[in-house]
Amino acid sequence: MTAAGSPAGSAAWGSTAAVPSIELEVVSFAYPDGTRALSDVGLRIEAGESVAIVGQNGSGKSTLVRHLNGLLRPTAGRVLLDGRDVRRIHVARLAGLVGLAFQNPDRQLFASRVSAEVAFGPRNLGIRGPELDERVQAALADTGLGAEAATNPYDLGYSRRKLLALASVLAMRTPILVLDEPTTGQDARGVARVRDVVARAAGEGRTVIAISHDMRFVAESFRRVVVMREGRVVLAGAPDVVFGEAAWPELGAAYLEPPLAAVAGARLGLGATPTESAFVTAVGRRRGGATAGGAGAE
Amino acid sequence: MSAGLVLAGASYRYAGALGAALAAVDLRLEPGRVVGVAGANESGKSTLCLVVAGLAPSVIGGRLDGSVRIDGVETAATRPHELAQRCGLLFQNASTQLSNTTATVLEEVAFGPCNLGLPAAEVVERVWWALRAVGIEPLAPRDPARLSGGQGQLVALASVLALRPSYLVLDEPTSELDPAGTRLVAEALARIAGETGAGILLVEHKTEVLAHIADDVVVLERGTVALSGPAAEVLADPRLVELGVEPPAQVRLERAVRAAGLEWSAALAEAIE
Amino acid sequence: MPDFARRIPVGRYRGLHPVTKAILAMVGAIVALGVRGWTGPAVVLAAVVLSGALAGVLRRMALFALATIPLVVSILLVNTFLYPNARDAIVTVGPLSPTWTGATAALQATMRVVAFGMSAAVFALTTPIDDLLTELERRGLGRRGAFVVGSALGAIPRMVERAREVVDAQRARGLDTEGGPWRRFKGLVPLLGPVILGALGEVEERTMALEARAFTAPGRRTLLRRLPDSRRQQLARWLLLLGSICLVVVSLSGVVKLP
Repeated sequence: MTAAGSPAGSAAWGSTAAVPSIELEVVSFAYPDGTRALSDVGLRIEAGESVAIVGQNGSGKSTLVRHLNGLLRPTAGRVLLDGRDVRRIHVARLAGLVGLAFQNPDRQLFASRVSAEVAFGPRNLGIRGPELDERVQAALADTGLGAEAATNPYDLGYSRRKLLALASVLAMRTPILVLDEPTTGQDARGVARVRDVVARAAGEGRTVIAISHDMRFVAESFRRVVVMREGRVVLAGAPDVVFGEAAWPELGAAYLEPPLAAVAGARLGLGATPTESAFVTAVGRRRGGATAGGAGAE
Repeated sequence: MSAGLVLAGASYRYAGALGAALAAVDLRLEPGRVVGVAGANESGKSTLCLVVAGLAPSVIGGRLDGSVRIDGVETAATRPHELAQRCGLLFQNASTQLSNTTATVLEEVAFGPCNLGLPAAEVVERVWWALRAVGIEPLAPRDPARLSGGQGQLVALASVLALRPSYLVLDEPTSELDPAGTRLVAEALARIAGETGAGILLVEHKTEVLAHIADDVVVLERGTVALSGPAAEVLADPRLVELGVEPPAQVRLERAVRAAGLEWSAALAEAIE
Repeated sequence: MPDFARRIPVGRYRGLHPVTKAILAMVGAIVALGVRGWTGPAVVLAAVVLSGALAGVLRRMALFALATIPLVVSILLVNTFLYPNARDAIVTVGPLSPTWTGATAALQATMRVVAFGMSAAVFALTTPIDDLLTELERRGLGRRGAFVVGSALGAIPRMVERAREVVDAQRARGLDTEGGPWRRFKGLVPLLGPVILGALGEVEERTMALEARAFTAPGRRTLLRRLPDSRRQQLARWLLLLGSICLVVVSLSGVVKLP
């Protein structure tokens, strides 16, 4: 039915080579009421990178990711996928390239069965038959909803509705996956599921971008962190840089705090330990060094 | 008649549901104390909030067995507007709680006291008291529809406080908030418990918040109380993880260091304070 | 109570009590639609232009006038071409013969509609809805009635915002909203579904939130705002209302012939 969309979805996925790079060239955006949401944002995301975007509510994170799939068009500047201006790419084809899971699942759930909800996206991309079934089942399994295929989405609790919305985007198998606040409202198991989804997608060579307030999730699941404040990118780098002591003043100005592991590591002079495992490793290294009489045996 | 909000063997089943959402829950909340509630999703935390605040069954129906008493009075025998003055309830999402009919934060916070028909001067006095207690007096002239998530949640909190309840029940009040908003709400709650003497029941996924402000913590599993006790003990309990609750970062770090066969020294303990 | 919450309207027209403004709009409607001949609509049109100018809303009234165009056009066409038993044709082209009688009647009907619309526009543009609801509640409108009207109006911008997010979310999942009518129709379910289901899902939480704010307490609510009223306005309201009704009765009975 969606003739325009069908080649995009099926052809694009499968090999890492099909994953496009993303480039924002001095992008600015103002809403029709004049609110300036993005100011001169420059950002390049390579194919297969995993990037977290952090910042206070209203700092422009959601506005930024809506530029990646053409939902918003920059008022100034350009957004390029593999060097092509997204303005020139048909919206239906963009949907096959960039999957975006929104923060609030209730803004998209409409089907009367969980499986139909998940099938909606890939079906719009022209996927049919056994491949559609396989995609739906895989996405439900990845989000822990395998047993709920026949359930009405609104009979699920909020946290599982949110996982369902995530599954419905996963089933589209887009080379670029964008998640807006995937961990809010999730308990420990739900957060672990989201973490697995991110790791699997990144492992498959897809680009994963997530907006999050959960600094531990950010530090542990992403290779690069982009900090936004008042519509600008004010800091970007690997977690050990962004959460490193030198960056704390800038983080504080963006109303953010580094994860406790990073703070404790800095206090103990262990260097950059953005994750808990990095912290433990650093503690072990220090002890190892100390027991060997400070000779630096490692 | 004894002070305190007390659940004794409280079981609750939603109208039309087969199983019980809460089963034989015992719980005690004293004035001025903060009791944290944790648990996996769909373990009965939200139901507990509705039962404690008396909205289940009086407003949403269903069947309650056992006893829920607020300062010695059964909630089942109390009408909703009287309950509202004994026990205030705050949900996750500020937008569904604000009345949507007021032009300023001041009037929004006044909505509850106005419903009681109090003299205008007393309403205004209560509003300023509540705004002060939450620390948002400067927001008074603002339009409630144009607040940030954290500000909106604080206005909703002040709106509930303005009814001067002896107890407050909060259902994941920070889940939609950014770190700054979470901090604002946590600080306001700590201040309210300390200064107004209200007893607070706080459902929260962010166990760091509970570690910070809760005196006691209860962990629910499938509608029953799986763990309960002083916050520091419960949050360090090894069973927390299998109950679907993420321990606070302090606990996780200590555990990870020990699991690596390393000694947990005083210097390390100091570094995570 | 601080001034920002009291919000006393100022200005020669805006400063009138909301009930006075409502009565003026009502009188405008009665006279514009009820008094025979040209006098009724002409007087009302003059009065609304004057009050619109006083309130400084003439330009925005023009927008309301635009909204009446479809109705006005249909009145003009129907009356001019199809006025029953009118024989004074202006010109005859085939089966079409517009008549002078029809054209005159059409013009008069148009004036009535525009005068009525403009009188409502002056009211809407000069009276915040919560001003009116406060004063109606003071006059015995129940708390539920006032809340239903107030929250329904307050919900409109949120519904628009919600709808926009739903459109974005479904387009992000590849919903193509362009194309033929059948495809567009099929696209409606995923668009309307979340808007409606989401709003319904919120109803229970909203109900509970209202209960938690003592909405069902017995007795009258406290009304914090009181908008200035005066004996003169009260008297004027009654006189205007009675006067306009008398005028309609007199004009319909034909005792006095108005132009």
